[in-house]
Amino acid sequence: MADLTSKLTQRISKTQGQSPQRKFPRATGLVLLVAAIALLGAFPLLPFVNNYLIDVGFIVGIYALLGLSLNIVLGEVGLFDLGHMAFCAIGAYTTGILFHQLHLPIVILLPISAIVAGGFAYLVTSPVIHLRGDYLCIVTIGIGEIVRLVLQNNPGGLTNGPNGIGNIGNPDFGLFSIQSPTQFYYYIWIVIGLVIIGLINLQKSRVGRAWNYIREDEIAAKANGIDVRAFKLLAFVLGAAIAGIAGNIYASKYMFIEPNNFSFMESALLFCIVLLGGLGSIPGSLLGAAVIVIFPEIFRQFASYRLLFFGAALIVMMIFRPGGLWPRRREGLGFAGLGIRKLPRDENALLAEAPVPPRPGTVPLKTYRLPPVTVAMSEGLILETKAITLKFGGLVAVSNFDMSVVTGKITSLIGPNGAGKTTLFNVITGIYRPNKGKVVFQGRDITKLKPHTIIGAGIARTFQNIRLFPSLTCIENVMSGPHCHAKEGTWPAVFRTPAQAREERKIVELASYRLNQVGLWAFRNELAKNLPYGKQRLLELARALATSPSLLILDEPSSGLNDKETEDLMAMLQVFLGEGFTMLLIEHDMNVVMGISDWVTVMDMGSKIAEGPPREIYNNPLVIEAYLGKEED
Amino acid sequence: MAAVLQVETLFVSYGAVEALKGISLELDEGDIVAVLGSNGAGKTTLLKSISRLLVPRSGSIRLRGADINKFAPYQLIQQGIAHVPEGRKVFATLTVEENLRMGVFGVRTMAPGKEYKKTREWIFRLFPRLLERRKQLAGTLSGGEQQMLAIGRGLISKPSLMLLDEPSLGLAPVIAQEIFRVIRQIHQEEKVSILLVEQNARKALGLARYGYILETGKIAIQGEACDLRNDERVKAAYLGGAKVNISACGSMS
Amino acid sequence: MDTLIQQLINGLTIGSFYALVALGYSMVYGVMKLINFAHGDLFTLGSYIGYTVLVVGASWVTATFGIWGGMAIALVAAMIGIGVAGLVMERIAYRPVYKAGRLPLVVSALGMSFVISQGIMAIWGPNPQAYLSGWTPKDFLQFGNIRVPVLQIAILVLALGLMALIYWLVERTTFGAAIRAAAQDRDTATLMGINFNLIIFFVFALGPALGGMAGVMQGLKYTRISFNMGWLYGLKAFTATILGGIGNIPGAMIGGLLLGVMEALFEGYVSGAWKDVFIFLILILVLIWRPTGLFGEKTAEKV
Repeated sequence: MADLTSKLTQRISKTQGQSPQRKFPRATGLVLLVAAIALLGAFPLLPFVNNYLIDVGFIVGIYALLGLSLNIVLGEVGLFDLGHMAFCAIGAYTTGILFHQLHLPIVILLPISAIVAGGFAYLVTSPVIHLRGDYLCIVTIGIGEIVRLVLQNNPGGLTNGPNGIGNIGNPDFGLFSIQSPTQFYYYIWIVIGLVIIGLINLQKSRVGRAWNYIREDEIAAKANGIDVRAFKLLAFVLGAAIAGIAGNIYASKYMFIEPNNFSFMESALLFCIVLLGGLGSIPGSLLGAAVIVIFPEIFRQFASYRLLFFGAALIVMMIFRPGGLWPRRREGLGFAGLGIRKLPRDENALLAEAPVPPRPGTVPLKTYRLPPVTVAMSEGLILETKAITLKFGGLVAVSNFDMSVVTGKITSLIGPNGAGKTTLFNVITGIYRPNKGKVVFQGRDITKLKPHTIIGAGIARTFQNIRLFPSLTCIENVMSGPHCHAKEGTWPAVFRTPAQAREERKIVELASYRLNQVGLWAFRNELAKNLPYGKQRLLELARALATSPSLLILDEPSSGLNDKETEDLMAMLQVFLGEGFTMLLIEHDMNVVMGISDWVTVMDMGSKIAEGPPREIYNNPLVIEAYLGKEED
Repeated sequence: MAAVLQVETLFVSYGAVEALKGISLELDEGDIVAVLGSNGAGKTTLLKSISRLLVPRSGSIRLRGADINKFAPYQLIQQGIAHVPEGRKVFATLTVEENLRMGVFGVRTMAPGKEYKKTREWIFRLFPRLLERRKQLAGTLSGGEQQMLAIGRGLISKPSLMLLDEPSLGLAPVIAQEIFRVIRQIHQEEKVSILLVEQNARKALGLARYGYILETGKIAIQGEACDLRNDERVKAAYLGGAKVNISACGSMS
Repeated sequence: MDTLIQQLINGLTIGSFYALVALGYSMVYGVMKLINFAHGDLFTLGSYIGYTVLVVGASWVTATFGIWGGMAIALVAAMIGIGVAGLVMERIAYRPVYKAGRLPLVVSALGMSFVISQGIMAIWGPNPQAYLSGWTPKDFLQFGNIRVPVLQIAILVLALGLMALIYWLVERTTFGAAIRAAAQDRDTATLMGINFNLIIFFVFALGPALGGMAGVMQGLKYTRISFNMGWLYGLKAFTATILGGIGNIPGAMIGGLLLGVMEALFEGYVSGAWKDVFIFLILILVLIWRPTGLFGEKTAEKV
């Protein structure tokens, strides 16, 4: 197995610029997949397989389904959820209670359990979804315990307390009902198959990518127009719904449920399944579930030592394979890994179709092939900050700051280190809210808008310290740009509707165009973190451009670049200017500032000390003083 | 004069980025040397390498002739090095007094005795404002006061060599003035050798005897401070304009 | 009124166990940013070490050193044993995983939790054990209508004394300031001459040692101990830690005592069965109101 995975993770495309040559051809992968499915399908029919083993297979299925459901929350979005069994409990008890109280058939209760569990997740997580890492972790543990204890305390006589609920019926599909171990085995694995198809479709869609963007860098995700809160909640609701389905199937198989089925220990096991398999990896979750169930079974003869071994195995795994047994691989798959239908085999063909670049400020996805809309290119102001003040504790970072950016021009904001320039950018893009003052963009007050809304309105930015999505490929990074203009949500992604497929195609086309424009097309299938520094800056630029903004805010775009790269960057910025992008830069390299700015604003100690055309600024004594210090002799 | 610090062809990189590309410099006992340059030139990287917070790719750093790698990072303060980091880095949840006590944590001879008390009095004389605020949490101080505390915390171990990283960063001119006055004073009275990293070139060159100008990880210009002060190329290095050629310097005017 | 006082004393007693365990969570978290899920099981292990000392010594320990001497020896043995266990745990389960990031660390901690609790079961068996009544004093002190066992008072005094000691050590001494400094900014602390490895050594020895002593105290007070009791104590203590603001030492103590008292009062006046639901609800409400706990983010901000 280890051999196989290491083969899988080998770098596939060594030669850049060509569509990747698969060392591990698609056909072989398909054969393996078919073999795996065939093995799963034939398992109960094998001669040595008895009912006990079939039941083990069923249990693996239950844990796999739960692992897949937690993988959405923990693996895809990176949220610490250590109380996931609560959602399974809600599903199981919904089934048990409604079966007895309303005599609804188990099959009808399956979707109802999913909906109730999902709704429950929405109710309990929406007030706490903003909590960070460990705080969210304890809250999920708390929710898990509350649910278990409530079930145990038998409110209104519904849950029957610690005695649990028995005599739950079997699923009955009218023509046939599911009763024997073999039937249950097929039942759970067919459900898993369906769920996996949906999850893969979701994973390889704008929704799945948005989840990964959040996991990789929440701030960068926000600044690229991802509604972080909504997507986190979606992950919880969906994960809970699938856990609810698992609860329903579990209840109908054993016909009996009790609160202790859903203890913290079980939640902790699910957590281990996801990490053993690999974060965000669907086959990993299956493998993790198999390990968790089968490992203790193998050590059954050691009776009381088996969980001891299991704990030790967990530690050893994390020391030697912290990424999991079967981590999700992204690089070297080519665009096929994006899961978008009917892409040309040759990725260069995608580029050759050369979509007309969208006009800045237009919503690209629906209109970018249409003749450009005329945007007023007058000397109007695109952005104004009015008397912005922001304090951090005792420090006044920005003080009463007025600045304006003229449409269609390059404005530079300069000033010594620590002057407050980046802080001002953070105010404009909604990361910080000012204590006083207003930000007006295209005549609209955007001071109170959330970052992701501001991006949608047409302001894109890059970061001083580069904030990419490091473990995603370059093309995936840039595909976050069009996200804020895309419409198709969860269900169209799950069912791959034609509209969703068209939209995905436009996203990848637009991203390809921008990636090529900054000269990174050859690196499209590389992970962002493997790029050299200068190229990472360009990638961030491409990602910002791909949001088709009216105003592009660049925080020290030339920092860390060598002279040649800086020259290329300047030329590129001129091209963008020609395309109609308005730009606002923070820059330290005065060659860049003096070379391409139309207007320079100088900031020192949080205040504006000068503004004007570059030449004037260059000789302004106040500016020289701010940089070099006062002449004193 | 003997060299207290010698840096030879130092290369440092962060992953793919090369931050220092062969820096060599020297600091004599009792001297002040300034390292100047714009943001990202590699100034802080240089100081962090000297303090062994970063591991250089190659090159050597010698402290009074001894290889600096002989000492664990936390032992350097015992060797008389005090590094005042960029951005003040005071311990926000500790009081002013506790911050000062941290300054001698690694110096066995200082522990809590008389000597410490005497030095602390001296620091309070240098920065009377710290005395007023000695019980306050450092996080509640203003930027200037935090910088004073950071320098005081460096001084309290009675170092023979101070590495000062942008002591005027983000400070109002009056306060920066004050800080520079104190640096001059400790240099003159205590004969501390000082390696001063600054953006504020005129101030730093007013204080230092010798200066190095860093540009993207290389030394672009070096020379006597009084010469550099009037050198057009220094202005150019900061404000752009004419490309600077690297040339041996020293007696140019 | 009398029941109220009785409940308060009971609450403070169990709260002081939570607080001692919470201190360990908070110290380790403050310096390493790691939730040590095995911490509750170290509490159990401490309890079993104390039990073993008294069982193996049987009549001998108690007869030679008297009841008080026997209890003291059990406590010291647990303190030393668990301190060492904490260091070993850091070495084998955490140090090799630090660089892999936080999620693998969580799994490693959960694995360690299994190893310790299952190890206890393998050694001492799956059935609960009991601290024998001959090991503890049976006297009562009478205050008006309230009878309080001398043992309980002794435990409370010891626990509060330990807390005061830790408070003094961390908040009042130079070494304590160094711990806080290292927790805040490792690099700058190194520049000050603070040896970070020494700090790690200290928190991983002292934090668990406190938990181990709490384990013995709980055995002396409630007599029944079992291999899996650690997770509930651990969970409550972790809740207390978060309630007080994780990484904050006084916060952990106050959080623990508060939790114990709230629990006892709720149990006494409302319902025993629902007390844990109540506790977790309080936790969630506090976090909604203050996302970093009651005393989190101690850095005072000038407004």
